Amino acid sequence: MAKVFIYPATSLILSDLVARFGHKPLGAALGIRERIQTAGVDSPPLQITPEEPKRGLKYAAVEVPSGVRGRMAIYGPLIEEAEAAVIVTDADFAFGCMGCARTDELILFSLRQSGIPILELKYPTTDDEGVRFVAAIKKFLAGLPNGGAA
Amino acid sequence: MAEYIPGYVGTVTKYVFVESPVMTPGELALRAYEASEGVLIKETCFGLQVTGEPEAVDRLIARIRTFDPMHIFVKDRGFPPGDPRRCRANLGGARPGYLGHEREFRILRYITRGLEEVERRGEEAETPEPAPEKRSGITIRRLQELIDEES
Amino acid sequence: MSQKVRIAQLSCGPEYSGVQKEIYDAAGSVGAEVFFPDIALADVERAVDRFGLDVRSADLKLMIARGMALVDGKVDADGVFIGTCFRCAEAAIVRNELRRYIPEHSRLPVVSYSFTERTTAGTLLTRMEALTTIARRRALLAREEQTGITMGVDSGSSTTKAVVMKDNEIVGTGWHPTTEVIASADSVVADALAMAGLVPDDIQAIGTTGYGRFLIGKHFGAELVQEELTVNSKGAVYLAGHQKGSATVIDIGGMDNKAISVIDGIPGTFTMGGICAGASGRFLEMTAKRLGVDITELGPLAMKGMGKNVPMNSYCIVFGTQSLVNALAAGSSREDVAAAACHSVAEQVFEQQLQEVDIKEPVIMVGGTSLIEGLVYAMGQLLQTEVVVPPYSQYIGAVGSALLASGFVKGE
Repeated sequence: MAKVFIYPATSLILSDLVARFGHKPLGAALGIRERIQTAGVDSPPLQITPEEPKRGLKYAAVEVPSGVRGRMAIYGPLIEEAEAAVIVTDADFAFGCMGCARTDELILFSLRQSGIPILELKYPTTDDEGVRFVAAIKKFLAGLPNGGAA
Repeated sequence: MAEYIPGYVGTVTKYVFVESPVMTPGELALRAYEASEGVLIKETCFGLQVTGEPEAVDRLIARIRTFDPMHIFVKDRGFPPGDPRRCRANLGGARPGYLGHEREFRILRYITRGLEEVERRGEEAETPEPAPEKRSGITIRRLQELIDEES
Repeated sequence: MSQKVRIAQLSCGPEYSGVQKEIYDAAGSVGAEVFFPDIALADVERAVDRFGLDVRSADLKLMIARGMALVDGKVDADGVFIGTCFRCAEAAIVRNELRRYIPEHSRLPVVSYSFTERTTAGTLLTRMEALTTIARRRALLAREEQTGITMGVDSGSSTTKAVVMKDNEIVGTGWHPTTEVIASADSVVADALAMAGLVPDDIQAIGTTGYGRFLIGKHFGAELVQEELTVNSKGAVYLAGHQKGSATVIDIGGMDNKAISVIDGIPGTFTMGGICAGASGRFLEMTAKRLGVDITELGPLAMKGMGKNVPMNSYCIVFGTQSLVNALAAGSSREDVAAAACHSVAEQVFEQQLQEVDIKEPVIMVGGTSLIEGLVYAMGQLLQTEVVVPPYSQYIGAVGSALLASGFVKGE
């Protein structure tokens, strides 16, 4: 079982397919869950405190907006942990954790820089594309060093 | 600064979406309750949210998937169910993630189609990825020809 | 407790900057609640097309769609808070355009802010208070005439001012540098009463404003305790005799600056703040001190000088002071340095704040710094308009408070 970063990190489809084919999807929910379940200073809604943008300085300089750094504090560790990534490149309507285009650019760059195996594709818009989409993901996951359990 | 004391520590929550011609969220919930083994199940308009110890949730999810494998989709959730910080009633509107789900809900049918077809073909016939279309610019010579034709 | 004022939040990034709680707290402390207009994905797609601003960030698309839902009346709100990350260009464009679009197409008051992870509820408080006041007290703000005998006290960061008004006339004033907040207020009140020939019991209603408004409001048992954005807008158009139609009010204060776009005496959009004291009245005080003149002499001195003879445009009071010292050492005249300092402050305010409100004539300058004619001149040059400085402009907060307080005079 490989740890596979999904992009958009909030994607139902990618989260489902990666888990369905026997791997662990790494997405926004894991980062949020960790914060929601950790005691500390009350900072609703996401339990992201003003300390998080400071932690995000590891991934982006101080001149980068706080929202980018705060988001990177969630994604940075997940990207470091990832052994592979599946990326949908036309995810124009992923909000919230994925709602900042600058963060999204930085996530994609970080993934591509990391040297892990990456599959990039587009959302299907027809049945045929749906078949190719699922087949491509299945094949990619099965070919990962940590194997698949499809 | 107010202290934050978390609830549901050590649990995981997963969304279960059902987009099926043969199974409603209500039916899904009924069948899930039977297999729940103490995992908390909350019925929603799109399916379920299940919350519990990670292993128990994994077992339940594996069971739920068998009900209608091509039409049930599962995703992790950071918050426990009914959390007031994410609740529409408290926020005044849907949390942003809901709209993201709406986006993907529209194309679930293509994913279902893909899953069915990939299963039908089995291991032997993976569809090769079509080579991405490369659009190359026209050559200088061709451009000159076009100009000559037009003039 | 009256019904909560409902403030629609249009934002990108506060949850991830760790400051959403500060927004909630600021709203909560002025009896308001923040909510997120409910829309569906199809609304977002339609809104982005209709609005025509093709941004990439999905949360900015969401902001646009929520803003349009408010304007279209699909979602009810009493006011709008627009917030995006400081230093994000894409978000700044959306923030600016929505801030313009919403008041143009609705009667909703709007406040916008760009936050960092350091933004606190305290910073947002005055803005939220102004938003709720506009929403809750439209009737009070509609007042155009002072009645009875009322007093307004403005406890500012640099100076404390008091005004006594009777039958729509200013009959007493008091002015004092702010040292100890209550003591300073007591002394200006005593001066204003003495000048008016009145005693405390003659006062039928009191209004307080400025940084110390809560403290002195309690001290005097004030009927009205109000932030300076609405009070100053009211005072400015009242004193300038321009209560109807649009106007722009600029108040360069000791600690921060306000730029308010006013419609019929009620703030529409406003900005407040200033990154550094280099763009504040404090810098002019320091300049006066360095030039060895009283602050009241700085304006006339500046009018005799040529600002462009001295390079000075500083974001920061420390560097600003350095250029000032350098210029003097290099042989620049005191007049030129005074003019350059005025120009520098005006330019900072122009660049940092006036870009955020739609400047509509007349432009009314108020507050103590409006008496520095070199500064008023520099602002007029930058805005290419004649800036109006009404009588008693230095007492603006106190006048606005006294005017609005007359809404609490018994029998009113």
